[in-house]
Amino acid sequence: MKTNQELNPIKESELHSKNKKLFREFGILMVLAVIFVALSIASPSFLIPINLINIVRQTVEIGIMAIGMTFIIIAGEIDLSVGSIFGATAMFAAVLFQKGTDPTLTFFFAIAMGSGIGFINGFLSTKAKMPSFIVTLGILQLFRSVAYGISNGRSISSFPDSATNSWVFGFGGNIGIIPVQVIILVAFLVVAHFILKKTKLGFDTYATGGNKKAALLAGINIDRVKMICFIIAGALCSFAGLISIAYLQSVPTTAGQGREMDVIAAVILGGAALTGGRGSILGTAIGALIMSIIKNGMVLLGVPAFWQTGFIGAVIILAVLLDTRISRSNSFK
Amino acid sequence: MAEAYIEFKNITKRFGGTTALTDVSFEIQEGEIHCICGENGSGKSTLMNLCGGIILPSSGEIWLNGKPEHITTVAKSEHLGFAVVHQEVPRCQNMSIAHNIFLGSSESIRGLFLNEKYMAAKTQELLDTFQLKLSPEQIVETLSIAEQSMVQIAKAIYFKPKILILDEPTASMTNNQRDIMFKIIKELQHEYGTTIIYISHRLEEIKEIGDRVTILRDGQYIATKKVVDVNIDQLVNLMVGRNIEHCKEDQKSVRNEVLLKVENLTHTGKFNNISFELNKGEILGLGGFVGAGRTEVLMSLFGDMKLDEGKIFVEHKEVKIKSPRDAIKHGIGLIPENRRDHSLIAEMSIQQNAQMVILKKLIKRLFINKKKADKNIDEMIHKYGIKVNNLSNSIMSLSGGNQQKVVIARWISNQPKILLCDEPTRGIDVGAKEEVYSILRNIVREGIGIIVVSSELPELINLCDRIIVMHEGKITGELNREEACEEAVIRFASAIG
Repeated sequence: MKTNQELNPIKESELHSKNKKLFREFGILMVLAVIFVALSIASPSFLIPINLINIVRQTVEIGIMAIGMTFIIIAGEIDLSVGSIFGATAMFAAVLFQKGTDPTLTFFFAIAMGSGIGFINGFLSTKAKMPSFIVTLGILQLFRSVAYGISNGRSISSFPDSATNSWVFGFGGNIGIIPVQVIILVAFLVVAHFILKKTKLGFDTYATGGNKKAALLAGINIDRVKMICFIIAGALCSFAGLISIAYLQSVPTTAGQGREMDVIAAVILGGAALTGGRGSILGTAIGALIMSIIKNGMVLLGVPAFWQTGFIGAVIILAVLLDTRISRSNSFK
Repeated sequence: MAEAYIEFKNITKRFGGTTALTDVSFEIQEGEIHCICGENGSGKSTLMNLCGGIILPSSGEIWLNGKPEHITTVAKSEHLGFAVVHQEVPRCQNMSIAHNIFLGSSESIRGLFLNEKYMAAKTQELLDTFQLKLSPEQIVETLSIAEQSMVQIAKAIYFKPKILILDEPTASMTNNQRDIMFKIIKELQHEYGTTIIYISHRLEEIKEIGDRVTILRDGQYIATKKVVDVNIDQLVNLMVGRNIEHCKEDQKSVRNEVLLKVENLTHTGKFNNISFELNKGEILGLGGFVGAGRTEVLMSLFGDMKLDEGKIFVEHKEVKIKSPRDAIKHGIGLIPENRRDHSLIAEMSIQQNAQMVILKKLIKRLFINKKKADKNIDEMIHKYGIKVNNLSNSIMSLSGGNQQKVVIARWISNQPKILLCDEPTRGIDVGAKEEVYSILRNIVREGIGIIVVSSELPELINLCDRIIVMHEGKITGELNREEACEEAVIRFASAIG
């Protein structure tokens, strides 16, 4: 039979693509490992359990927001408004808590508000056929003002006992030494991972970002897919906002300002492509972890505050450069 | 005998573990039209990428005028006089024709500014030579694929290369456009002594235009022949290494039941008053030149293009089709013309690409049922003879023919009533074409109705039970199997019937 000869070359190229798949998240994991080892050597206090738990806790808000962003970026869109959704919904919830509204109701109001803003993003980006970059840039500004408006421009930092004793504020507590919010993050990561990899919604999200036209012609409702991604992102941002209230017991007017950049950076570090169709929750989680480890490390090493953002910028560029080099050297042709 | 102008000496090219070319040696003479043919994956395009400076050989040399040349970059290749028109070139889609022609050329610059008038005038001349009724300002995105490839060839010719390499240039062209292009190529050969390397697997074209032909198979050199010395059957044997029987079975699968009926379909500016019927078990062809509105009719039936007027009946019931999802709900499937842009998702695996449409049926309690999905894909692969080693590889790792079989399987597995096929064998090799034909013939036996749009007349005539011919958005004629011949289709297509 001749087939043996014909199939051989395919077998070889298959080995290649397997390497690539292995390396995609492996690469960023190595980056994480290198940074981790370097910091353990450089700073004696880095490896202390309390510090490690602290790092993971600091990953929670960005991590949860980055889950939504991962969906949106895989679908080939972008959401610049996540920081404002976070801030505005947190402020909205803070006002309600202060007024003594039922905490459970407040929780659902806040989530509804986040989902609603996500819906507006999605609606304008699909039905009104506007680029999501522009839509969410507008929403970013708009809801920053809303955050100022509903609080009259001041921070909110004292809540009645009815609120602080409620289950919502339990988000800020610990179970043993593990912060509740870390458990929530892990739960969200697991659920999101399964949605992306095992459900039709996940499949459709990858397909929409991978090739919009082909997805449409295969009967995928690409507008609905994008809409759902924006709504998921909005809801998760408001959830992150609630966690932040519960932990800090206060909401500054600038809550979440500039947060979109950290969130997008975490997703991109995790190997997602801004052109859509590629990305993973595992990668995003590692990306978010890298961001908070670097921040933590710089504090431990006493890096002056004004150099910290610059350093993060450099890490992002280096990591993505590494990633493109790897994927280019392994691509077909 | 003339002296060798370009010599390929023991060229081997490996990509990772895959060998695309193995020890290939042959030569091309100055001023000849040298055709290179072979099935997909035979290494034709790799050879051309070596000339174009896109890739370097793993071993072996290319000699030009008796001197070895290392073609390390595209610029070096151009400097040596090569102009390569690739099969699927990424054009600057949102720029005008004129700007695409002069892309990267310094000729269009006057002082610090672009000389728009000069570019427009020169582009107009080119368009006239190619008999294209287009304006230089027109944005490339708005052109049909055939027009885009003509523009691409025009660009290459404008700079008067010493060696012109054309890779499957006629893939989407009609006979008329092809004839114009052939005329231009021959003029180039006679007036400027340009050497032309013409890659194609359309053998009748090679017979028509070529001086000599080199055949490659599985990355190996098979033979170089004078075109006058070989007939098409011999070429096919050399290419495939086996005999292909052209199956012209005359089985009648057409049933006397109307499956689809359309009345007065109109999309202003594209097509007018299109009415026809499709029976169960019938393959209906839509013939005509590119731009006659055939693709647009299919796209409207599939809900991807709005209808200004008209009614669609599926099994005697009127249906409203506003989106591809509506169409799928009513049992319609579409195999689009542009496989890479409209069918495949490059980032996804073979299995994922194959199961895009049927996925809904593979869900069990929210999650994709892996067992069911794997069983389904196994069936597909066996049924349609898709050659694949690992289903989780990227769809782009397959040859064009196997990619197309995946797309066809994607639809058939969803058990459609009607399958719309737009150029179903575009850019795939002879062997795979026959396989696609036999798949289509098999499924009509189950009562599915198929509409085929094709610019390849032999394909339409051999495959279809009936052919409707369009010209400038209107139906100009209808031919049944007995009446169908190339001449009749062309007469209707040019509205001289």
